Amino acid sequence: MPAANEKALEIVDLEKRYPNGVEALRGVSIAIEPGDFFGLLGPNGAGKSTLIHCATGLAQPTGGEIRVFGHDALSDYGAARIAIGLAPQEINLDMFLTVEETLDFHGGYFGMPKRDRKERTEELLETFSLTEKARQRTIALSGGMKRRLILARALMHRPRLLILDEPTAGVDIELRLELWHYVQKINAEGVTILLTTHYLEEADQLCGRIAFIAGGTIAAQGRSEDLAARYGVANLEDAYLALVGRRELSRSHVEGGVTA
Amino acid sequence: MSPGQIRFFSLLRREISRFMKIKKQTLGGPLLETFLYITVFGGALGSRIKELHGIEYILFVIPGLIMMSLATNAFTNNSSSILQQKFLGAIHDQLSSPASPRELLLALNLGGFVRGLIVAALTFIVSVVLTNLGVAHVLVLIPALFLVGFFFANLGVLIGVRAEQFDDVAFAQTFVLQPLIFLGGVFYSASLLPQPFETLTRFNPVFYMISLVRYGFVGFSEVNIPVALAALTAATAALFLFNLRLFQRGYKLRS
Repeated sequence: MPAANEKALEIVDLEKRYPNGVEALRGVSIAIEPGDFFGLLGPNGAGKSTLIHCATGLAQPTGGEIRVFGHDALSDYGAARIAIGLAPQEINLDMFLTVEETLDFHGGYFGMPKRDRKERTEELLETFSLTEKARQRTIALSGGMKRRLILARALMHRPRLLILDEPTAGVDIELRLELWHYVQKINAEGVTILLTTHYLEEADQLCGRIAFIAGGTIAAQGRSEDLAARYGVANLEDAYLALVGRRELSRSHVEGGVTA
Repeated sequence: MSPGQIRFFSLLRREISRFMKIKKQTLGGPLLETFLYITVFGGALGSRIKELHGIEYILFVIPGLIMMSLATNAFTNNSSSILQQKFLGAIHDQLSSPASPRELLLALNLGGFVRGLIVAALTFIVSVVLTNLGVAHVLVLIPALFLVGFFFANLGVLIGVRAEQFDDVAFAQTFVLQPLIFLGGVFYSASLLPQPFETLTRFNPVFYMISLVRYGFVGFSEVNIPVALAALTAATAALFLFNLRLFQRGYKLRS
């Protein structure tokens, strides 16, 4: 039985070396408290998706530990995965299924009884404005609709930890705001969120705590203000630019340059 | 039902739902193909050959065609299903679920087996209507069909997991599976072949599968039935355990 003070996600010295020798993760440690809205930021190839894949069973760590609400993600993977809902970066819908089948099968994979699946499917279709598309094959959906369905699928089995891997990449502003309102709402209801995004203003606005990952290691973590202070800059965006070694792109520099 | 049972039946339903949605291709096509074989070999060759080992030629051929339907459909279903899911990334939804490697593998196997069985059953029904086909040894036929179906379902899983492009699946089917089946004695008796082809046929594992199924339907066999059943059981179990090991390791499924 997990302890009462368990973390939603606890990663200790996580390592991932691919068979081709690439070290994607080199001793990553993070701890996310239940109810947190946690941001994981870093440039492309920093290790964000690999970390998420290790936590959800899509990649096999070569070292370290992952616990989800106290359950070891490797030895007790069943309980760990039930606690996680994953909305991946790529659109990975099954083109043979309809919208409602996508949710129904997902619920089935997570052991939900038929009546519960039916009720939850209707609820999520309504929430994500997909009711009219329920009988359509996923292949016929627009990009925005597919994105909604992926989020609905991640939430289908009522996970306690929702992992959003760049969920707003390529979506229009209306859908982006809609998604964030919903995610903030479920976070307020107690669902822990782990978010990766390239939109720093989103992370700044939404996340209580943020970790910077670069080169497979955690470079810094804390509140947005802590990160700014750590890099001796004014805000999260400048802290990020400092992390990736591109301080010259800071808006203050550019604006200053133009004024001068 | 327990959560584990719900999980397993959901995985299986997904497999069955996939081929049922494209049944013209997955059921209709193979059925037409088998019907054409029966027509051509029964009508054209049958009128000249008449009998093999005292059995009407068409009745000699049909058990092999039923076995071929079962084998190729079980194989094709699983190799295609896995590769399509890998290609789309949709398999991640199942891999990140609490389903164990054993549950995933069994559901995939059973999905392919069900498709193979449907086509084989339809072929049998058509054959019964068109010919005098009966069942001579049901206690051999049922385990033989069960084992053949699961062997090729497992082989389909193996090829689907290993495949990185659709060409890999097509290669296995065209250059390995079809020659083994056609040279395994579907349309002829191995004992009628000249040496060394008769002996070479006995190195083809499909020859024993066809012989088992033929014995079940028409009572004629060129192999030792208990030995062939035992060998097929061992081969199916070994292939299943090999696949299970691959699934546990996440070979070409998890990075």
